Amino acid sequence: MVDVEIKRDRIVIRAGGKKWDWMIEPRYWRNTLYWTIGLLLFPLIAYFLSPGLINTMVAANIYAAIAIPLSLMTVGTGRINFGPNFYVGIGGYTAALLSIHLGWGPIATLPFAIILSLFAAVIFSPLVIMARGLYYVLLTLLLPLVFLEVTFIYTGIFKGDVGLFGIELLVQFENAKLNFLSAAYISAGIMLLYLLITNKVLKSRYGLIMATVNDDEDVAHGLGVNIAKTKIITFVCASGMIGIVGWFLAHYFGTFAGITYLPMTYMLKILLVFMVGGRAQVFGCVVGGYFVAFLEMILIRTMGQFQPVAFPIILLILLFALPRGEGLFGLYRRRHYREYMPTIHVRR
Amino acid sequence: MADILTVTNVTKKFGGLTAVDNVSFKIREGETLGFIGPNGAGKSTMVNVMSGYLTADSGKIVMQDIDITRKKPYERARLGLARTYQIPRPFLELTALMSVIVAVLCGKKRVNQSFEDAAGEATHYLEFVGLFSKRNILARDLTFYELRMLELARALATTPKLLFIDEVMAGLNPGEATKAVDMIVRAKEQFGLTVFWIEHVMAVLVEAAERIIAILYGQLIADGTPDEVVNNDRVIEAYLGKGWRDYA
Repeated sequence: MVDVEIKRDRIVIRAGGKKWDWMIEPRYWRNTLYWTIGLLLFPLIAYFLSPGLINTMVAANIYAAIAIPLSLMTVGTGRINFGPNFYVGIGGYTAALLSIHLGWGPIATLPFAIILSLFAAVIFSPLVIMARGLYYVLLTLLLPLVFLEVTFIYTGIFKGDVGLFGIELLVQFENAKLNFLSAAYISAGIMLLYLLITNKVLKSRYGLIMATVNDDEDVAHGLGVNIAKTKIITFVCASGMIGIVGWFLAHYFGTFAGITYLPMTYMLKILLVFMVGGRAQVFGCVVGGYFVAFLEMILIRTMGQFQPVAFPIILLILLFALPRGEGLFGLYRRRHYREYMPTIHVRR
Repeated sequence: MADILTVTNVTKKFGGLTAVDNVSFKIREGETLGFIGPNGAGKSTMVNVMSGYLTADSGKIVMQDIDITRKKPYERARLGLARTYQIPRPFLELTALMSVIVAVLCGKKRVNQSFEDAAGEATHYLEFVGLFSKRNILARDLTFYELRMLELARALATTPKLLFIDEVMAGLNPGEATKAVDMIVRAKEQFGLTVFWIEHVMAVLVEAAERIIAILYGQLIADGTPDEVVNNDRVIEAYLGKGWRDYA
């Protein structure tokens, strides 16, 4: 029996022996709503002004949609995963192989992409309990690289060198611009959904429990927090979320190549989004995603062949120049402090 | 008085070093039991074994008829065992209130309790230790005494039956130390606790404890009332050395 009670500032939900309060006071969500509206209007404006920008926006949404679960994973496990793109590969290859060999569409491949990402995460989840520090970094760093090698070794299945072709597209209008526009809205939808879920989780009791695991897991253990359960659930769920991004990429481009998403360069881009936006700050991931995607695009257009050199240099300068650990979002937050929970900083 | 915790023949070794050697004792419900010993005697190892951070190599620990020897710290916490640390270990990035809310939420399962309800309960514990006005301050910005009190509030919020207090006097000035001791005594009375108190300052334990046990090189050397233990030759020898009579 679920009992819902609406009060002035909150919705109270009771189910079984549990009770949840959902704060609906405007000051907690007003700014988020304004930014969301801006984000949703952007592709529409770009559609009429410069359709090329829509592609950049899709890339930004993808970066953010990987970095948001990565933030959740970082807070909940107290460790930074250096191989989030491994799950992009799992989700993408699952969708691609099912679509090519069985002729399945995006809706049919989605549950399998999620299940296989979750399954892979469950297999590797003991890492979050057994390994910490440099060992965890090395092990997670190796996963996508080993997977990349596998795609080359079993090239008959994965087409490691050229990638898989002929995946059913997510949307198929006759107008290519409309295809881009709908992909932009789907990617924005995924990213905003992740933002909503992650933000809600981090502001709840589970978020607080994750924060204690991130801060001092031994003390949290002594206070009654089941740290193994917390870490594994966070790791597996966040990995599943990243797997969905892989599914989207496969069906958006109609091709999927491990060589694009599994190497160090792609992973470093995600980690830069994570760091430039603000470590483990979910809203920072969006800021970081857009910043990195648009900076990349501007540099390609203005600097041409020097872009691969200038891009990391600018980002490295930013990492040093921005407030430590707070990133670009930290600059905004300093002026607009409206949260009722403190920011969770990553200490490892 | 019934026994709340029974430690039977517990041994803990680190490689070739035996930190706790075949130790047995009982903690009676409602009492304040002092636990003393010179540096390196094995006090902290014993507490870590009892609270689940270390696993005993042999022996048995029973809490109210439940064998907790192999139970994890979070399971022991939910059974009613809480502890403070010799050097405060606050959640540096959380406010005082948030730190206590976690303990309220996880210490014991409470039916129909939302996050906000837990916040309400947490303020009660913060008020008890005198930190209500500091509830929204990050733990890293609190003074040493306040951190000690925050640890106490956090431990109380798990609604423990048995509270381990690890050298509460360390690092406090005399005024703060007196306040801290009074606070523990009040907490014991108000929340009906059993206290297992590790302390270097003998004067405090003689005043506050009903019984004291002493440990040396991992072995139990005395168990009795404060007067008996303070006058025990082996205890005096452990603190002052073998030739203490020559200088007495």
